[in-house]
Amino acid sequence: MYRIWVLCLKDMKLYYFKGPTIVMGILMPLFVWLAFVAGRGFSFTESLPALITLASFFASSSITPIVMPWEARQKSLEMLLSKPVTIYIVLLGTALASSIFGIFISSVLVTIGLLLNVIPRDLISLALGIAVSSLCYSFMGLVFSAIPSDVPADAVMLSSAVRLPLIFVSGIFIPVHSLPHYVKPLAFISPLTYFSDLIKNAYGYSSLLSPSIDVIALLLLTIIFAALALAANKRTLTRRL
Amino acid sequence: MPLGNVVEVHDLVKFFGDVRAVDGVSFSVRRGEIYGLLGPNGAGKTTTIRMTIGIVTPDRGEAYIMGYNVHKEPVKARSFIGVVPEISNPYVDLTVWENLMLVGEIYCVPKRIRVKRAKNLLKMLKIYEARNRKAKVLSKGMRRRLLLAMALMGDPDILFLDEPTSGLDVISARMIRSHLLELKEQGKTIILTTHNIDEAGMLCDRVAIMNRGKVIARGTPEEFKIRFGEYARILLCFDREIDAKLIRKHFDSYEVIVQGRRLAIICRSKDLRDVLEQIVQVTNEYSLSIEELRASGLNFEDIFVRLVEGLG
Repeated sequence: MYRIWVLCLKDMKLYYFKGPTIVMGILMPLFVWLAFVAGRGFSFTESLPALITLASFFASSSITPIVMPWEARQKSLEMLLSKPVTIYIVLLGTALASSIFGIFISSVLVTIGLLLNVIPRDLISLALGIAVSSLCYSFMGLVFSAIPSDVPADAVMLSSAVRLPLIFVSGIFIPVHSLPHYVKPLAFISPLTYFSDLIKNAYGYSSLLSPSIDVIALLLLTIIFAALALAANKRTLTRRL
Repeated sequence: MPLGNVVEVHDLVKFFGDVRAVDGVSFSVRRGEIYGLLGPNGAGKTTTIRMTIGIVTPDRGEAYIMGYNVHKEPVKARSFIGVVPEISNPYVDLTVWENLMLVGEIYCVPKRIRVKRAKNLLKMLKIYEARNRKAKVLSKGMRRRLLLAMALMGDPDILFLDEPTSGLDVISARMIRSHLLELKEQGKTIILTTHNIDEAGMLCDRVAIMNRGKVIARGTPEEFKIRFGEYARILLCFDREIDAKLIRKHFDSYEVIVQGRRLAIICRSKDLRDVLEQIVQVTNEYSLSIEELRASGLNFEDIFVRLVEGLG
């Protein structure tokens, strides 16, 4: 655990202020949110859950895709792996750093909401949801980092190709029940659906599922993404060295 | 693991696609010695080292460090080693000091010892003045020394160095070599790969020579010299450039290297008289003057070439 924390701190120091993190983790959710709400008569109170959902999703999944390709390119990956750590410790450190970034950005938005008198009805499920979903998204991002390339842009492109469509099928702006029937199955395998549902519930809007089901679904998806990410990155490691 | 062996490698095999990059490599390293893996580029040295330290999984075979199987207990095994990979960098956006602190933390070195050790290493490797500089602004030689310092932060018993002086200028390379000898005196075991034969001859107690993924010979540099003692190397320098083709025709039964005015002939010691007679004949025929003539046993480079080319 200590080594995971040490590597998490390293990733926080090295990657929080990198270009792709700022663009994909902060600017992207802001602009997507603006594109949906601007000029459509939504108040900040009404659209804050959507903004938190987007911010948590993009921020938590912005660092994990780039760390492995970046370190392979910088030729520091082999140096790190030759120390008393395993690839799993390295990946867990990255996932933790990425999810802390998502938790921080989401918390800033929740705090801004509180200052503007947008009070969540269920603060505990909101906090739990942000924590679990951030971890889930960071592992999801880690799956894309397994691409055997040392060009971070390749991993960012691949992750964007998956992340962007998920916004439209996860009930953030279009309710799940209004989606075409052939898209609905996608909504239920998207972690965004459960987090969006949880946030809506926490802010007192109507939701599809109960908060406990949302949290369980997010936990299950976290385990699936984590297993996938660890296995895929281990598999492609040799090609990165 | 036999007493005194700190590294044991058994029958390592690694395929990359259809290519058998490492083919049944075994070796063991004793405590306190410098062991060299020698070979031309593509011989499989780096892959062997990567499998030995457990960052590449072999298709067959096992490696042990201090008795720990590196693939079953990688963290435990790697806590005894420091590694300087061939093509590698510290974290270029961190300072020299931050890089060392990071590695110290990974090795779980207590803060007080970490700070003291980092200062000592930076002073020993003469990069203390650069401690607050980001690694990206360091010269190649300084980066290499920083990597060595990082490898030593955990005070490892065993050091693995993959081509430690590759691409360095003469002064930096000499500095690294002298540090390696100092580390050996301190009781560290060192395993290095190199294609620099002189370096191996200078540093290593024992060497294994690799070619095409296999160990083709092993022993001490002295043993190799004795083994090839029946060979002699004649070095000549003429007063003007010589025609390589003509010279080769005259000495077609020997190994000949022609470079401008210089000629090297490798022959068996028993043939020395014949070769010298032929040299006199060639000198007269082409009206050449000999400015320098030396005869010696084979150097380590000659031996290496003969082994790799299957001449020995």
